[in-house]
Amino acid sequence: MVVLERHTTVASPAKSEENFAAFHSQAHFWGRLTIWGVIICTIAFPLYLSFGLGYHPGWSVILTGFLSYGAVVAIIWFVEPISYYPILGVSGTYLAFLTGNIGNMCLPSASIAQSIVKAEPGTRKGEVTATLAISAASIVNTTMLIVVILGGSYLINALPESIRASFSFVLPAIFGGVLAQFALKKPVWGIGAIALGIFAALGPVPPSFQTFICIAGTVIFAVILEKMKASEQAS
Amino acid sequence: MKLASEIMDHPVLWVLAFVIVLIVIFQAIIFIRISKKVAPEVGLTNKEVTSIIRTGAISSLGPSFAIIIVAIALITLIGEPTTMMRIGIVGSAPIETVGASLGAEAAGEQLSDKNFSAQAFTAAAWTMCLGGMGWLLVTALFTKSLGRLQTKLTSGGGSRAKWLSVVSTAAMIGAFGYFGGGQIAKGMNETIIFLVALLVMPAIMWAAQRFNQNWLREWSLGLVILVGMSVGYFLI
Repeated sequence: MVVLERHTTVASPAKSEENFAAFHSQAHFWGRLTIWGVIICTIAFPLYLSFGLGYHPGWSVILTGFLSYGAVVAIIWFVEPISYYPILGVSGTYLAFLTGNIGNMCLPSASIAQSIVKAEPGTRKGEVTATLAISAASIVNTTMLIVVILGGSYLINALPESIRASFSFVLPAIFGGVLAQFALKKPVWGIGAIALGIFAALGPVPPSFQTFICIAGTVIFAVILEKMKASEQAS
Repeated sequence: MKLASEIMDHPVLWVLAFVIVLIVIFQAIIFIRISKKVAPEVGLTNKEVTSIIRTGAISSLGPSFAIIIVAIALITLIGEPTTMMRIGIVGSAPIETVGASLGAEAAGEQLSDKNFSAQAFTAAAWTMCLGGMGWLLVTALFTKSLGRLQTKLTSGGGSRAKWLSVVSTAAMIGAFGYFGGGQIAKGMNETIIFLVALLVMPAIMWAAQRFNQNWLREWSLGLVILVGMSVGYFLI
């Protein structure tokens, strides 16, 4: 008995090393395969609208839309995967960046599960725990989405006209709410951004420059503020 | 001219949207299977694995419900299949709204217009799909090297990582300032709702912290939308 136990404890580190490497290579394989699959579908969707159905708006329009959207999100494409990587690990990154809702769903689910089994984030136990928790969260979230989408259209059609009309106020509510969420952290930046936004909308600014002026203006404003704060602290 | 509402729920769009959300579910099932296999090696018992999966599922209920209200609202703007494929993968409802708005504006139209055209809808779909692809491409191509990149960026005094976060946060706030300004320019009703949302959000966040109710945080945007719609209901 004693010999057998010693034998397993001596043999397991090397074997577990090998198994964990196998886990990572499986995660890379399936993670990449599924994400490339979704990328292909994601391109097929607008391609079909443009050329299958024939509603192509023109490449210059698409480029204009993409560039102004890119000005908003391009930095986040890189910043988010980089900043979440230490918490999510290899497998968690593939999961979280496919299913989305990282900050509000994946990370909370993973950290609660980790605290229950006493696994530290960044360790192997932590990574496997996070992977299991995020997988479960992703399945529940996606299943609920499918049910709601299929039932949601029925729900909308059943709504009286007056309530349907109030859906047009969803946009100002979302924009106000999200801006407030950021402004709680950076109130001065928020005030600067909304001042620029009103100026761009009502002032003598050509429409194609409005987005750029607001984003670049707020970035410059924020960088100057941070630089001033840094030099104040230095002196 | 064909209206967007006439082509939004085309069968082929439904099929593509379903393939996408089924791939998401398939990926999660595969990852549970490979994690279960390696679980004993990292010191997790079968019982713990079950408990982790249950915790993950329960924890996702709150955020998932919050996403529902936003998703239903998006349906009225971009239709069911597009909403499903956008909300089903990375990218939140607000950011998808930004993408759709920018795409529609590039085609010279507004997302919420009654005669929103099929061409402008296609432009919105392109913008959302290309914009959302960034995260997928970065994840598919760079996950292996992300670890090395992370240490490189955050080392060296950490000032580079700090400025990167300053620029990206400010860009985000600037974008929402632009959209907020656009809503204010639209009219009195939109201005009132925007200001109400601007005040209700901090109140919810304050209440969540004061009474230690984390679910309130998850529900914050859904509640703000509900409040905004209710106020709007009485304004018109």
